[in-house]
Amino acid sequence: MNLVWKLLRQHISIPQFVGFFFANLVGVVIILLGVQFYNDYQALDNEDSFMKADYLILNKKIGALSGLTGGQSSFTSDDIDELKAEPFVERLGAFTPSSFNVKARFDVEGFVSFSTEMFFESVPDDFVDVESEAWHYEEGSTDIPIILPKNYLDLYNFGYAQGKGLPKLSEGILGAMKLNIQIGGEGQQDEFDGRIVGFSSRLNTILVPESFMRWANGKYANAAAVKEPTRLIVEVNNPTDDRITSYLQDHDYETDEDKLDASKTTFILRVIVSIVMVVGVVISILSIYILMLSVFLLVQKNSTKLENLLLIGYSPAKVSFPYQALTVGLNVLVLILAVIIMCVVRNYYLDMFQNFFPDLEVPGITQALLVGICLLVIVSIFNIIAVYGKVMSIWKRKE
Amino acid sequence: MNKIQLIDTLPNVFQNRTDVVSDIWQKEVTFEKGRIYLVEANSGTGKSSLCSYIYGYRHDYQGKILFDGEDIRKYAVARWTEIRQKHFALLWQELRMFPELTAWENVDIKNKLTGYQTKEQILAWFEMLGITDKLNAKMGRMSFGQQQRVALIRALCQPFDFLFVDEPISHLDDTNAAIMGDIMTTEAKKQGAGIITTSIGKHIELPYDQVFNL
Repeated sequence: MNLVWKLLRQHISIPQFVGFFFANLVGVVIILLGVQFYNDYQALDNEDSFMKADYLILNKKIGALSGLTGGQSSFTSDDIDELKAEPFVERLGAFTPSSFNVKARFDVEGFVSFSTEMFFESVPDDFVDVESEAWHYEEGSTDIPIILPKNYLDLYNFGYAQGKGLPKLSEGILGAMKLNIQIGGEGQQDEFDGRIVGFSSRLNTILVPESFMRWANGKYANAAAVKEPTRLIVEVNNPTDDRITSYLQDHDYETDEDKLDASKTTFILRVIVSIVMVVGVVISILSIYILMLSVFLLVQKNSTKLENLLLIGYSPAKVSFPYQALTVGLNVLVLILAVIIMCVVRNYYLDMFQNFFPDLEVPGITQALLVGICLLVIVSIFNIIAVYGKVMSIWKRKE
Repeated sequence: MNKIQLIDTLPNVFQNRTDVVSDIWQKEVTFEKGRIYLVEANSGTGKSSLCSYIYGYRHDYQGKILFDGEDIRKYAVARWTEIRQKHFALLWQELRMFPELTAWENVDIKNKLTGYQTKEQILAWFEMLGITDKLNAKMGRMSFGQQQRVALIRALCQPFDFLFVDEPISHLDDTNAAIMGDIMTTEAKKQGAGIITTSIGKHIELPYDQVFNL
């Protein structure tokens, strides 16, 4: 056995280290579970991967009269500037409607064939949470990425296909297929391929990239026909803010109410998870404090041995190493055990989740692992420095 | 390292005393590699302080101590570690052994660090000093005289330019003292090293080049 270790392990207090071990284990498990649970819940809550929960979509109320007179249901630039100035607004973007004719045909050979007049809308690209490569239009290309409302798929699957005895279609199958799109206006007519990037349950519109919209509106639409936006997309900093509700009421704006509720739930959950994680962090910090105290006590009890080792030519780094390895080893052990416990608990609650949402896709544990490893690295660096500092104070004969 | 110089060195505790009469304090003294020195001292004249200043673990002195002309106050931790491993061997008056370890382990813990002596050489020294039977005895159970002999063996388990022995034979009989002196001079000659030895009365018999009164 290493003689230095044989010397320096004298006076190690097992109960102290066991105490640290379990206290820190509890702390780290709480932190990791907090991170993991929050991530898993987001997958549950945020089935819509294209729109974050904090986005609100606003439109003006359409009354009996305004419907007839037209025009008034759109937002003027004054309306937009006023809204932008509100403190609860982080970002704001307008929906740009297409001012040209769109006809789409959808064939699934042997099964079904749809053909319909439709329209496109676009929002600024940074509101759309898709990889920029997939959500990109090259001018002159015939390939247009499209996001469809999830309702369309539901209508087909649960209404049409059910009634006609046709097979149901999944998002994956549809994503692999193409829509034939005809765009016309200003005396021109062209064929395009629509590529379905995904389905959104939050957006009741057919979304195309902003760059395509700009180009197509310029080419197929009469410049005079370009309209003011009728819908706005707004990122708010806190969806539970009362000022939002009152502002909307004052200005006769509408939003999807239950989305507001959903984001409230998310917000509250985030607060709760944060509180729980803070508790975990506090437990961890206290346990690390215990660890440092017992290591310092150990150094103190063994200070003569440490001093003699330094005097016969051992470097402070070599003398510090056994205690550094001891603390880092304990930290690693805690992390491994904490990850195992987290996975066990997670399997338990995922079973429950999956009862409600059979095709739920949950994220992996990468993020929780990263958090755990970051904590480990930070705490270990702190421990290593603290032990070295203590040994150096013996070198300098300050004790 | 070829020479150790003390220039106007004086322990801080003596700075208010006017009656310091010494061949070393407040003088210019040079110890050279390859020569053998004796520092004779009465109690309380700062013999252990001299050891700790030269060995770099106390700095409470005024004046200068130079190794090959370099002021040792400027040495960094890594430099001292190197000096203690390769240039300067010290046998402390208080020995500084580890009572929890056996005699063999006490020597081995140093030799593992430097990898300098062979096991055969170490065992031969144990044999010469008559403590082979104590190889596996716990240090704490051995007499001071036995511990002194183990401490010398440990001190020799490294390359050195100077061997500093602080009262090495205070608890030894003349026969063992002579053997010890023999081992020390042989090893020093082999390395071309200098020896500085101290005593407060009985001193080890060596062919001294110079004697100082501290």
